[in-house]
Amino acid sequence: MTVHELRTRPGDAKRGDASDGAVLADQVGGRLSRVDGPAKITGAAKYAVEQQLEGLTYAVLVESTIAAGRVQSIDTAAAEAAPGVLLVLTPDNFLPLRTATDWLGTPPPAVAYCPLARSITFSGQHIAAVVAESFEQAVAAAALVKIAYDEAPAIVDLSDPKAGDGIAVDAMTKEWGEAETAFASAPVRICNAYNTPREYQAPMEPHGLIAKWQDDQLTVWEPSQWLDGMARTYAEWFGVPFENVRLVSPYIGGGFGSKAFAYGYGAVAAVAAKMLGRPVKLAVSRPQTFTAYGGRAATRQTVALGANAEGQIQSIVHRGVNETSVDGMWVEPLGSVTSVMYATPNFSSRQNVVRVNTVVPGALRAPGENPSAFGIESAIDELAYEVGIDPLEIRLRNYAEQDPHAKKPWSTRQLREAFAAGAEAFGWSKRTPQPRSMRDGNQLIGWGVAAGTYPVRRAYGEAVVRILADGSVEVESSSIDMGQGTYTILAQTAAEVLGVPAENVIVKLGDSRYARAGVTGGSRLAGVMTGAVHKAASAALDQLVGLAISDPASPFHTLQANTLVVANGRISSPRGNGPEVSIAELLSSVGRQHIEAKGDTMPANSTVEDRYKNYTTIAMALPHTEGDYSRHSWCAHFIEVRVDEDFGTVRVSRVVSALDSGRLYNPKLAESQWKGGIIMGIGQALLEEGIVDRRHGRIVNNNLADYLIATNADIPDIEVISVGIPDPHSSVLGGKGVGELGIVGVAPAIANAVFHATGKRVRDLPITLEKLI
Amino acid sequence: MTSKTRTPIQLQINGHRHELEVEPRVTLLDALRDHLGLTGTKKGCDQGQCGACTVHIDGQRVLACLTLATQAESRDITTIEGLAGEDGTLHAVQAAFLEQDAFQCGYCTPGQIMSAVACIREGHAGSDEEIREYMAGNLCRCGAYPHIIAAVRQAAVEAAS
Repeated sequence: MTVHELRTRPGDAKRGDASDGAVLADQVGGRLSRVDGPAKITGAAKYAVEQQLEGLTYAVLVESTIAAGRVQSIDTAAAEAAPGVLLVLTPDNFLPLRTATDWLGTPPPAVAYCPLARSITFSGQHIAAVVAESFEQAVAAAALVKIAYDEAPAIVDLSDPKAGDGIAVDAMTKEWGEAETAFASAPVRICNAYNTPREYQAPMEPHGLIAKWQDDQLTVWEPSQWLDGMARTYAEWFGVPFENVRLVSPYIGGGFGSKAFAYGYGAVAAVAAKMLGRPVKLAVSRPQTFTAYGGRAATRQTVALGANAEGQIQSIVHRGVNETSVDGMWVEPLGSVTSVMYATPNFSSRQNVVRVNTVVPGALRAPGENPSAFGIESAIDELAYEVGIDPLEIRLRNYAEQDPHAKKPWSTRQLREAFAAGAEAFGWSKRTPQPRSMRDGNQLIGWGVAAGTYPVRRAYGEAVVRILADGSVEVESSSIDMGQGTYTILAQTAAEVLGVPAENVIVKLGDSRYARAGVTGGSRLAGVMTGAVHKAASAALDQLVGLAISDPASPFHTLQANTLVVANGRISSPRGNGPEVSIAELLSSVGRQHIEAKGDTMPANSTVEDRYKNYTTIAMALPHTEGDYSRHSWCAHFIEVRVDEDFGTVRVSRVVSALDSGRLYNPKLAESQWKGGIIMGIGQALLEEGIVDRRHGRIVNNNLADYLIATNADIPDIEVISVGIPDPHSSVLGGKGVGELGIVGVAPAIANAVFHATGKRVRDLPITLEKLI
Repeated sequence: MTSKTRTPIQLQINGHRHELEVEPRVTLLDALRDHLGLTGTKKGCDQGQCGACTVHIDGQRVLACLTLATQAESRDITTIEGLAGEDGTLHAVQAAFLEQDAFQCGYCTPGQIMSAVACIREGHAGSDEEIREYMAGNLCRCGAYPHIIAAVRQAAVEAAS
């Protein structure tokens, strides 16, 4: 089986630490331990490419070593003659594929698609692939493929003199008032540039897949944040019906935005499997994960703040640039936080994209909001020092009581509460304002604050809930769990609605044969899927109670009750009279093997085409400002750094973050995800940077020893405080986004703390020692 | 050529003897995962940088991706699959990881747990600072580090009592 099937042991389900009072661990809002945890801690959890298949073959990619130019020739003779080699794929023998619809649902151009390139636009581009009987043979033979190039000059990054100003993205323009005039006449003006480098998702599980054809049916085992979207892509590439493609992704070893799409190597493996008539496994190597898909684009922003002497903002003028690839388009929305965080009567944000020779960049945890917050949350800190106001106080003075851009009220905004709770727990009032005024021996101590936000992205979802003959419950969805806790919160949702213990609920995810699901991204899945499961489970409960009341064979038939209650897996009358039987006993007495209900949150008049569009594209996603409200989650980070005065090394020594994600479906798991975002933010602030070799336009630190992510030794204890309240406008059960929020605002909080410690303002991430000494 | 270059070897894994034929260049990690179906040991980088493939050889923590399968012959190998009792009783470190929510995606987790068991056995779990340092070779991109510290501390205290 490919789904998680391990139940928690008796007793585990109740073993929350009950810090949230009366909520049972079994229920929504309870601290139930991960139900997929036992499989993960025993090694029983089989991830996608770990399937053991008969006749499995191994594919290894061959990549370009130049960043621009053309492939002159590919000599495959030595590779083809190497031991165990079954096939060497090049652009010359690749099966013709069609171009697929993109994730927005844009109809594709009627041109052929080939993921192996002759025209080179970045270093690391796929040119060939070798398939062999064993992994070792494929690796050895791939090294024998000889490629000759006609090399052309490359634009290596944004700072390349050839890069230019790029292309204006008009859709990103947000303007109100007279921003430039108001800035020019403001009594206090600051204007600075803020840069973020290329950053990478670096999930611990590298990408890859196993592809297997049976006639015209394709099965793909691949880690995926979007089974239905990827199944659509594979189906369109090969011109087979959507139903002919099955995606299986039971566990995902981290994605952070990088596993939502089928990429070129997926087409390579699927074509090889078709040509060989055997299953093909293609595991992208760790170095290849830096170019087989894109990380976060490098960004440049200028933020100009005009204010009065009291620090009240009168105008914000914001200009942003992100890099994209030569032949692809990625827009990292740099004005997203700038335009909502603070009240201002005048505002202008515009953005360009600049083409450079890179793989097309992609989504990395809070794309847009993350670099956007680095700009505005650094800039307001600079304004605070300029006017001599506490950095927390200046944020309160400019508090936006409504969405300044959409001009709509917030659905909920507990940001003031976050500032208060975070400041109290951190001890902010003990901060001395002057830079370099706090120290411990040769360590300069700095305290910084910054806020973060992420919009609530909503979509429609569906789920199947099945009550089985033994009284246990199954929940099915083609959504996924990459560590956010989907298995667990959906078990809690079904358990609460149906009145059964969570340990009696089996959640099946990660198979595109289950009820459809849209993308797991933008922090939307928990809100979408708890709503869908709540609806399906409610329908199943209605069926169960209906049977108990009306079926002549039911022990409740003579009771003439209007309704019945189900609690702890047993059915009884709310008035306490009449029988009490288990769900299993009732189903047995009425002769039913199971009860099944499908629930979805689609509009009632939705067509089959609407549903397909909803689950395989994002074209039907609801804007966060749809209707009467503007919906966002919010947070405030308070961070202490210690900077070695002699060496300029920065250590984060304390973090307190207060976050508003609305209602938490499982605080234990939400806290983990928040902390994970904060930790990724610490890495972003101090460590992470893709370094480009300017001669060859390639990423030189394309491995986990040289692309530094935070290790255990880099991370202090972290306190997170939930200040959210249920938000009925954001989701069925009142939650807002969790996963992306935690990282937003961490890097500026650290940069602000570093300024407080040292008096040096670093506006260029990461904050490495050479920028401080 | 495939059969000619393969060598028969015996590996003692989790108390069971396994006989297999592998090329000399096959790593212990690939032998476990691809040849024996023991996929609990994870491949995160295949170049000794992430710790996801940590196993025990003769009780010492070792990176399976930097060890050839033949080097592990006639030595005692323990993987994540061999950590719990025969009856399924979780090792104290496993139970602590579940209770402290010391993982999210779970992919680095077998390596973290194998490292943690050795870290405690080595006597390097005396303080949070020490645990941080001696667990720093196991990367976790989900950022479960503070909870990993809590889990190792809890298991170390249990082991000491």
